[in-house]
Parts: sequence; structure tokens; C-alpha cells
Amino acid sequence: MPTLEIANLEVVYHSVVRVLSGISLVVPEGSIVALLGPNGAGKTTTLRAITGLLPLHDGEVVRGSIQLDDNSLVNLEADAIVRSGLAQVLEGRRVLVDLSVEENLLAGAWSLNRSQASDRVDHFCARFPILGERRHHLAGYLSGGEQQMVAIARALMPQPEIVLLDEPSLGLAPRIVDEVVKLIREIRESGVSVLLVEQNASMALDLADAGYVLENGRIVASGTAEELRGDADIREFYLGLGSTGSRGYRDVKHYRRKRRWLS
Amino acid sequence: MSGLLQLLVSGLALGAIYALVALGFVVIYRASQVFNFAQGEFVAFGALMMVSLHAEGLPWLAAVALSCVLTGLLGALVERVLLRPLVGRPVFVTIILTIFVGALLRAGMTIAWGHELRGMPTPWDTMAEVQVLDAQLLVNSLGAMATGALVLGLYFVLIRRTRMGVAMRATASDQEVALALGIPVGRVFGATWFLAGALAALAGIFLGMYPRNVDIHLGFVALRAFPAVIVGGLDSAMGTVIAGILLGVLELLCQGYINPHLGEFGKNFHAVFPYFVMILFLMVRPYGLFGSREVERV
Repeated sequence: MPTLEIANLEVVYHSVVRVLSGISLVVPEGSIVALLGPNGAGKTTTLRAITGLLPLHDGEVVRGSIQLDDNSLVNLEADAIVRSGLAQVLEGRRVLVDLSVEENLLAGAWSLNRSQASDRVDHFCARFPILGERRHHLAGYLSGGEQQMVAIARALMPQPEIVLLDEPSLGLAPRIVDEVVKLIREIRESGVSVLLVEQNASMALDLADAGYVLENGRIVASGTAEELRGDADIREFYLGLGSTGSRGYRDVKHYRRKRRWLS
Repeated sequence: MSGLLQLLVSGLALGAIYALVALGFVVIYRASQVFNFAQGEFVAFGALMMVSLHAEGLPWLAAVALSCVLTGLLGALVERVLLRPLVGRPVFVTIILTIFVGALLRAGMTIAWGHELRGMPTPWDTMAEVQVLDAQLLVNSLGAMATGALVLGLYFVLIRRTRMGVAMRATASDQEVALALGIPVGRVFGATWFLAGALAALAGIFLGMYPRNVDIHLGFVALRAFPAVIVGGLDSAMGTVIAGILLGVLELLCQGYINPHLGEFGKNFHAVFPYFVMILFLMVRPYGLFGSREVERV
């Protein structure tokens, strides 16, 4: 079983914009690892670097390594990376709106032969009865939650060993988020590791075994989910559970200072 | 009555050819949003290749198949060498590059084949006719219709039922998703250009049969499939096929019934008639018959 390991990764867009300045993280086999951080911190960029989608955005890994066990993933083509056992669910679901549910699933099955592919489609149609029911409907007409199920199922089609999920709770009703949480637990129980990028920190830390906090392209905090949930700064700035009462701007500055010192 | 039937059949044959050419445009456009201005040169290349291969003594069917494959490979080569490095650049750059490719191919064909007119070989007598009811129908026309129908049917099976077909449509719909799912997008682009080339060759072969001859300018005639692309909706294969057939028929009906009333002016009026239809469509229905209106939840 594979471990995904990133070391000192630096990513630059358009040859000048540095988005990641040397981040390191590990996704051990069979675990859920959360990657937290505000908008523009570089979370999606990290995922793009892992799955080889940077060239599409004129981005480039300039330093550092991405290893899946002993194999380097840097500068591999996206389809080779998927074949090596990684799968990614892009932010915002991104179902292929003008293809049917079944065709969406089949689009994830490039590396499978015809009978394997149809077995996997049947498997997911049984796991998600609503998708089975809508099998031949256009995916663009499904609800947001159903689309998220399609997007995740589609990524799981080739039975990857690690799944990267980019904000799976984005824009979904709380009840649907619960279903997504259940699904992510199920994915882990089937032996697949998960790297979970989330803005919904409380959900992510409930799920995860370990977590990293990314700000301005640097890892500013990391640890087990337990440790992160207990961290005063995380509680205040990510979970909204900080000490009550008014806080002056100076305290925020204190946090900023500390962060700079940390990085 | 016999006159009408005759016009209809020739119109359908011409329409089938337009549909083949237009489908070549659409296949590439859908996958990569590139409008391939070299498509006409592929048509001419396929036809010239056919003439040469047949002259070398290859049986007719084998020559057809080989010209399609060779023209397809030419398309794939153009994609691999000239266009692949531009993936991710503004599409406009790629479109301009296809104009250059067209000029290059035309020059290359002039060097290889020269300017003279050649007759397109046919497995039947060039002027063979069959009697249906009381009309004389050219076998060439019937052959074009049958081939068109067969190929278009195969195309829809490919796009609906095969792994490559689903990959093509996925790439057309969202390139980043296709990449993230492990679809080798580069190979999909190559396949679309191969397909476009093969379709062009087939169109060129039937276009070159009576009444026309084959020379390097055959491609300009093929550009008359352009209105079909617009009328059908740039990204709808089905729409383009229907529009191609429709415009072929309209063109021939125009030649038969409108041209004679226009005197000197009307001699070649049918040749521009499809463009009138296209302009009309651009005014009232700019996305074409079946062009995409976005799939959107309400």
C-alpha cells in the first residue's frame, strides 16, 4: 500500500507568481489527511501539482519532490499519474453536464476494459440508488448532492489507492454534507487513503486522522486532528471557537506575527 | 416529376458530401474549440491520393481505404507536430496556425501533383445511370449517399458506444476534468484529427467524381460545407449532418428552379445560395439548428 509524500514543494505560475514556497506533507496509507487554509493559500495548487494538472494552468514545479512510494510524480503526464493509483475530485464537482450519469462514470474508466467498466458502473449504481435511477439522465440536471456523488464515484472508477478531494462540501446543504462525510469514511474503510482539502475545518478535522494548515503557500501548523482541534489559534481562526468577548486589532496582529515567526 | 427526383437525388448526394466535410470541422471543433481552416486541403489531399493510388494499380476499395488512412495520418501528424505544443495557449493562435497549415499543404500538393485536372476513378462506369421510376439517376450520386449514410452511422456508434467516443465527448465538455480522470487528452486530440482527415478524404473522393475533376483546388469547393457547419450549430454533429444534407438539396433545387429565372446573373447563383441561408441563420438563430444552449439546472 502506498504512501504519498511531498517534500519542499515549490510551485510557480506564469514563471513569476510563487504560490507554494516549500511545503511538505505525508499521506500515510489508509488514512485521511486534511489540508486546511483560507482562500488563495495554495490548497488547490497542491492538488494540481500532485495530479499533473499544473501545465494546464501555466504552472510549474520548480523544486521539491512528490513521491508515491518510490515513484516520483513530478513532471509525469496526468493520465500516467492516474494510472499509478491516484484520483482527484476537482473543486465544484465539475460533472460533464452534457453526458449522462453512466457516461460520466465511464469517462473515469479509461484504464479499464469494457466488462470491468460496466461492473464498476453497476457497483456505483447499486451503492447510490438515486444514480442508478437516473443512469441515463444528463448529469447536468442532477441536484448538487447527486452531482457530487457522480464526481466522487467517477474518480473511484479505476479503484485508485489515494483520492484527492477538493472541497467536497462546497455549496451543499448540511444534510448532504453529512452524506459526503459518510462516503469519505466508507472510502477509507475500503482501504483507500484520502487527502481532503476543505474550508469547512470542523468537518474536516472530525474526519481526518491528521491535518496541515496552509497559509500563503507555507504550512503554518500540522499535527494529528486531535492536536489541531486543541490548538488555540486553530480553534479561533478556523473553528470559530475562540475566547469570547471583544478582541482588539492588536491581538490579530499578534497572531500574524506569530505566524510569520512560525513560517 | 422526374426532374424533381433527379435534382433531389443529386442534392442528397451533394449534401452527404457536405455533411462529411462539415463533420470533420465539428469533430475537431468540439474536442479543442479549434476551427480547422486546413480541412479543405485535407479533402484535396485525400482525393489526389486516391487518384495516385488507383493509378498505381490498387483495387478501388483498397485505394479508398488507404487514402482515408493516409489523410487521417496526415491530420494526426499536423496535430502532433504543430498544434500539440500550443495546447493551453489561446485558441486563436491555433486557428491562425491552421490557415498556415492549409497554405503549406496546398504548396506541397502543387509540388507533388502539379496543376492538371485528373479524373476520379470509379468502380462503375463514370456516367453509369440507373432508371428509377422515370428518372435517370447517376450511380455516383447513389454511391455518395450510401457512403455518407454508412459513415455517419458509424460515427454516431463511435461517439456513443466506444471508450474513445466517451473520452472525446468528455474532453469536449471539460478538458481539465478529462485530464484529472486520466484520459490521455493529447491522444484524444490526435484521434479527432485522424478522424477529420479520414472523413475529408472520403468526401474528396466522392466530390471528385463526375461532374467534377480532381485538382489541388478541390478544397475550395469543399469550403462550401462551411455554411452547413454554421447552420447546423458549430458544436453539434447531428445538426451539421442535417444542415449539410439540407443545404445540398437546397443548392441543387436552387440550380434547377431559381437559376433559370435569373438569366445571365443566375448562372452560378446556386453556388452562393447556401451562404444566403447561412446569413439568414446568423441573423435569426446564430447558434444554429442544434448548437449548444448550455445545460443548466434551474
